[in-house]
Amino acid sequence: MMLKVFRFSPGMEKPRYDTFAIEPAPGKTVLAALFEAQSRYDDSLAFRYSCRGAVCGTCAMLINRVPRLACRTRLGALSAGDSDPPHSHYDLPHLTEPWDKKEEVLVEPLPNLPVIKDLIVDMDEFFTRYRSVEPVFRPGGPDPEKERLMTPEAVRELERYTTCILCAACFAACPVNGKNPRYTGPAALAKLYRFHIDPREQQGPARLRTADTPDGWWACEFHTNCRRVCPKDVPPDKAIGHARQELKDLKKKETGPGGDGA
Amino acid sequence: MVVHRDQPSLHHVDVIIIGGGLTGLRAALQLSRAGRSCALLSKVHPLRSHSVAAQGGMNASLGNVPGTEGATDSWERHAYDTVKGSDYLADQNAVVRMCREAPATVIELEHMGTVWSQLEDGKIAQRPFGGAGFPRTCYAADRTGHNILHTLYEQVTAEKIPVYEEFFVTSLVTAGGRCTGCTALEIMTGTIHGFCAKATLLATGGFGRIFSRSTNAIINTGDGQALALRAGASLKDMEFVQFHPTSLLGSNILISEAARGEGGVLVNKNGERFMTRYAPRSADLAPRDVVARAIENEIAAGRGFDGGYVHLDLRHIGEERIRERLPGIRLIAMDFAGVDPVTEPIPVQPAQHYSMGGIDVGIEGQSGIPGLYAAGECACISVHGANRLGGNSLLETVVFGRLVAASIIRALPSEPVPADGPVLSAVQEMEAKVSGILGKSGGEQLFTVIDSLKETMNTKFGIFREGNSMEKGLAEISALRERAGNISISDKNRAANQALVRYLELEYMFPVAEATALGAIQRKESRGSHTRTDYPARDDDRFLFHTITRNLNGKIAVSSAPVTLGMFTPEERVY
Ligand SMILES: Cc1cc2nc3c(=O)[nH]c(=O)nc-3n(C[C@H](O)[C@H](O)[C@H](O)COP(=O)(O)OP(=O)(O)OC[C@H]3O[C@@H](n4cnc5c(N)ncnc54)[C@H](O)[C@@H]3O)c2cc1C
Ligand code: SF4
Ligand code: FES
Repeated sequence: MMLKVFRFSPGMEKPRYDTFAIEPAPGKTVLAALFEAQSRYDDSLAFRYSCRGAVCGTCAMLINRVPRLACRTRLGALSAGDSDPPHSHYDLPHLTEPWDKKEEVLVEPLPNLPVIKDLIVDMDEFFTRYRSVEPVFRPGGPDPEKERLMTPEAVRELERYTTCILCAACFAACPVNGKNPRYTGPAALAKLYRFHIDPREQQGPARLRTADTPDGWWACEFHTNCRRVCPKDVPPDKAIGHARQELKDLKKKETGPGGDGA
Repeated sequence: MVVHRDQPSLHHVDVIIIGGGLTGLRAALQLSRAGRSCALLSKVHPLRSHSVAAQGGMNASLGNVPGTEGATDSWERHAYDTVKGSDYLADQNAVVRMCREAPATVIELEHMGTVWSQLEDGKIAQRPFGGAGFPRTCYAADRTGHNILHTLYEQVTAEKIPVYEEFFVTSLVTAGGRCTGCTALEIMTGTIHGFCAKATLLATGGFGRIFSRSTNAIINTGDGQALALRAGASLKDMEFVQFHPTSLLGSNILISEAARGEGGVLVNKNGERFMTRYAPRSADLAPRDVVARAIENEIAAGRGFDGGYVHLDLRHIGEERIRERLPGIRLIAMDFAGVDPVTEPIPVQPAQHYSMGGIDVGIEGQSGIPGLYAAGECACISVHGANRLGGNSLLETVVFGRLVAASIIRALPSEPVPADGPVLSAVQEMEAKVSGILGKSGGEQLFTVIDSLKETMNTKFGIFREGNSMEKGLAEISALRERAGNISISDKNRAANQALVRYLELEYMFPVAEATALGAIQRKESRGSHTRTDYPARDDDRFLFHTITRNLNGKIAVSSAPVTLGMFTPEERVY
């Protein structure tokens, strides 16, 4: 099994690709293979890691041209060709390196974010968008003495969005993020929606209005790549769809049934 | 607020917080809300801290779920379970403080926006956990750490607290016997920064990764404990290392106790539910040390599966409940072992899980060095003693993150403003040191030495310990330390040099490993997680004390300190 890895450091004119031979073993993940390459062949190979258990969101990268968590992606499954999540095509004009799908696993940094070194990208732009939606709980009233009550159903709906680990796989897979550098992006919008539907907030439409802009809810083209690559089954596209519908309904209400503002 | 690169490399704040896990974030909030300037440094983005991985929950005697026969829970019962679980080595004043604060702490997190799992009546749900007399563990499905860490990060972001992400702390600076700051390597650029502060709080988490089998994040290398030791502070009870009974075979990713709390059972190769033999009353929900030893015993007696593991069977719980209550565990089993627990048992084995010992601090979180504080898993305020109960350490992080920050706030007005000089020269020293490391050409392999050290710790200082074998282990550690002197790194760049970071981590791992080893060798008894095959019984007459390790003329010296008893008198632990 060969690992073909994108290499870049500041000062290089263009990236190069290195190929490392990896001992095959059942269940071996791409992250484990990267550690193997780093310790056996080249200690300058750079990639981020932390939990190695698909919970911290550190290790998202482009694997066989699909954004995924390196620690959750098994080499065996890739070479068997059975774990490519289907997602609609998106252009990656800067990535043209061919690879042998039977023998090699191709590993590249997440697109739509600047590369610092090898597989490490600068996440600032991703987190700037996260901050732009003001992701902090705003309670609807003063704190009660005990906990605010919530129905298990409300919690279930919220949990579809709170599970996001901010790995940026969706951001990298989104064709709109690729062409519109001002687009808020799927993860930040899903986060915003999480606060909007929190029954403890009661902000009315205020949360929705935060992204009621051409580069917010309205920029999405529903390629749905976000949901398909998400390692945590978060559905940002659903959040965006619901938000738009609610905003449309609100506008209808505001302008009255006849549309004359009466 | 994320601090941008290429800022001046000398920074001044009231308080430095090292660590962006639950402890560090909660402390930062407290300080910032009191109008204190602080800098939070973390070697990874705060959301990538190990706290994010905590699955099962946080203990608090909310009493939302009645116990058997309708009894209600109380902080006293929580304290009793904690002290008993600790094998009477916990300091009872610290335990009392934590357990009293617990209900308000869980509620406070809810008020900040944490989504807890709920009961039908809308209150926060609680489940039974090992070693607890009540269903006391509040949880957010099996993503409790994730939900809380994101909440606290959201609050810290809204407060615009400066967060120095991917800053690796390289030394603590002391002047006139006080801690006056630290130096840190900005990993992505290779720049060394200096930080001056009146107070420094270590919140760097555990040291699980000095063992080859560990449930911890790869970054948990004991940096804070080593930094404190080097600065002249003491460590406490380092030999008490918790081994979790159920980690996934191979990757050692944790399969939370929640799986057993929800009804999962351990089964050996013969299909026997063996835990009823070891703990007739609590069976699969006996405390971790008891269950981990039972599994090791089964494996040693040839009743484990080939490859050294047993089965954790959840099938009888049913698909719907597994999906609802244990979705994360199901995903882990499917992703990392290719096993769906709905239809197949999960292969599990024990692995290092938690560091009960740590930086020796008093009830206010103060170390022996003025100006230096510690809290959370890196510290030993001693609420866990010889064995931690599941659900108590998330509680510890948030309770003491807040309380220790509060005691720093109280102390600040009388703390002197530190001079820049010592920090500036520490930065220069670190510059020279890094150049030295990158210039070395010794020929020894960095990763081989790391792996050997971890293997030594696992085999010689694991679940079962024995005098002669541990002495051999200690000699191996020293020999590896010699070899480490000849390590050379081939990457000579400063920026984003991970081999350099690993090298610096290895330097931290050695003293932590030695302190653990020395503590384990001198404690000639079995207590809590520390099991000596040559001294199988607890010995309160000779060993009801804390082990203290500190640097003395370049060597680690061992001494002892009394345990603070109180409400509960030591008795035999039966489950
Ligand atoms: C898999 C797993 C599951 C768990 N589940 C539970 C549970 O259900 N309930 C429970 O109560 N407990 C649980 N625990 C224990 C609990 O998660 C930890 O004890 C707790 O999260 C530790 O938090 P902390 O803030 O002290 O440290 P951490 O979250 O480990 O944070 C440490 C921080 O220090 C930083 N740091 C470290 N070294 C340096 C350095 N040199 N320079 C700069 N920064 C540095 C890191 O970047 C990080 O931000 C679990 C533990 C594991 C391993
Ligand atoms: S929505 Fe999914 S893919 Fe996007 S950042 Fe969150 S976890 Fe990652
Ligand atoms: S290392 Fe944490 S998600 Fe992969």
